[in-house]
Amino acid sequence: MILEEFKLEGDVAIIAGSGQSWLKYLSLALAQAGATVVVAVPEQEQIENGIGAIQHVGGMVTDLTSAREIQDMVDQTVSQFGRIDILVNNFNLEFGKPFLEVTEEEWRRVIDANLTSLFLCSRAVGKHMMRQKAGKIINIVSEAAERGLPKATAYCASMGGVLQLTRALALEWARENIRVNAVGVGWMENSFAGSSGDSVARYIPMRRRGQPEDIAPLVVFLASDACPYLSGNIYFVDGGLMARL
Amino acid sequence: MGRNYDENRGSAKRRSKNVNRFKSGREEKRLLTIILMRQGVIMILDKFSLEGKVAIVTGGGTGLGKAICHALARAGADVVVAGRTPATIEETASEVRKIGQRSVAIPTDVTDSNQVDNLIKQTLKKFGNVDILVNNAGIARGIEPSPRDPTPIQLGPIWELSNDKWHNAIDTNLTGAFYCCRAVAKHMIERRSGKVINMSSVGGLRARGGWFTYCSAKAGVIMLTKTLAVTWAKDNIQVNCIAPGFFQIVDPSLVGAKTDFIPMGRFGNPKEIGLLAVYLTSEASNYVTGECFVIDGIGSAAYAPTGYAPMVPLPK
Repeated sequence: MILEEFKLEGDVAIIAGSGQSWLKYLSLALAQAGATVVVAVPEQEQIENGIGAIQHVGGMVTDLTSAREIQDMVDQTVSQFGRIDILVNNFNLEFGKPFLEVTEEEWRRVIDANLTSLFLCSRAVGKHMMRQKAGKIINIVSEAAERGLPKATAYCASMGGVLQLTRALALEWARENIRVNAVGVGWMENSFAGSSGDSVARYIPMRRRGQPEDIAPLVVFLASDACPYLSGNIYFVDGGLMARL
Repeated sequence: MGRNYDENRGSAKRRSKNVNRFKSGREEKRLLTIILMRQGVIMILDKFSLEGKVAIVTGGGTGLGKAICHALARAGADVVVAGRTPATIEETASEVRKIGQRSVAIPTDVTDSNQVDNLIKQTLKKFGNVDILVNNAGIARGIEPSPRDPTPIQLGPIWELSNDKWHNAIDTNLTGAFYCCRAVAKHMIERRSGKVINMSSVGGLRARGGWFTYCSAKAGVIMLTKTLAVTWAKDNIQVNCIAPGFFQIVDPSLVGAKTDFIPMGRFGNPKEIGLLAVYLTSEASNYVTGECFVIDGIGSAAYAPTGYAPMVPLPK
């Protein structure tokens, strides 16, 4: 039996992100749960690559490092659909390099892509959610938000930054009926592609890497009105990785 | 991702073909869209269904346990309600039957392993298998009143904490969960399928002065959860825990509790715990294990009292 509480019928969602493999599945999942979905990605081909074909999902090419373009995307969404109930921040630029070799430009690019873009999108959408006095923001981060990974200092720092932004913003908006949560994604099929082999899968207690369909239900759950008392937290979908020694 | 996604994409193609076929009749097209939308809704939301599952909920007679029984039943599960007081568990069981699911009440004291083994045996006899175990039974005696015991026992210095009180809290909150997990383990491992939820508390993550037994036991529950999750990961059994903050179970005036200190400014609603339990016991959470779901109106995320938000400009 499907409970009404999990449905997103009538909701408008924005997924802002740099075209991860699960983007397609995620937009499909939110649309299936009943939401109208706007996908904001920097490249046209990321929209053409399957997303455009899904019912109730539309794409918008947006430079996600530009506050002006993000504002434009938000304005267009509001003028077309009247509201924004859900923002999924899906930024995940992976980068691995020995610490002493990381250039300033590389550092800034990773922090900008993973943390600053998320700040810009949350601010632009947040303004609208404050007016509505309702909204849910879901930040998809990596396990690197809480655990370290050698040769990925910039990446870990950016992810950790997102987690702390999640907690602080959730507290700030605790009484505005806006909930901010993070979903911690473990080792996905294509995380840090080609650099690990089977040793990573063996390290995961469930002995397999994650799939897009593993994270989508949690995003739907957090986007729904089922559990408004959940906020300011990170929930890991990782096959038991965070629990192991 | 493969299978599900491709199926969906296939149906999206079929959808657009069908829509074209009905292009002429506006009414038919509208009708078709509604039907297809319904189908679409079913696909991801189907994962949240508990149809055909059998659940055991300990401490199901009152409070959060009762709310979990209701939610699991609404999602389609048959529920075995366990607890010490026959009258309250029987009441929950009859409410579950009213929802339309099968339900029995089995009087059980989780601190007695014989009674726990009997609970599992009775459930298997009656329903054939156990898919879901919710270890919810717990006591906060000596800390806050319960519907059964509305007088809070005065918190005292540690030398006034008797052996009995210590053992009683550890036995119910921690050992009881261990007995229940041990009793269903072989059955779930043999079927290579199972979902376990242990109820911890924010008290298992953060300390409060004087709450020696409760906080220690609830912290133990979190680690029991993680250890079981890692141990059973290869057997396809997911073990997670829920750490609730303050919930509206008894009359708040009894506890003298105010809501100002909670960032969200309100107590939790037991119904919310129920729906979280549905997520954690359904197919939707198949890759989630060893996790502690804190649900506390953000209290544990803060490092300053609620309402303290300094405004400090950057230096020139």
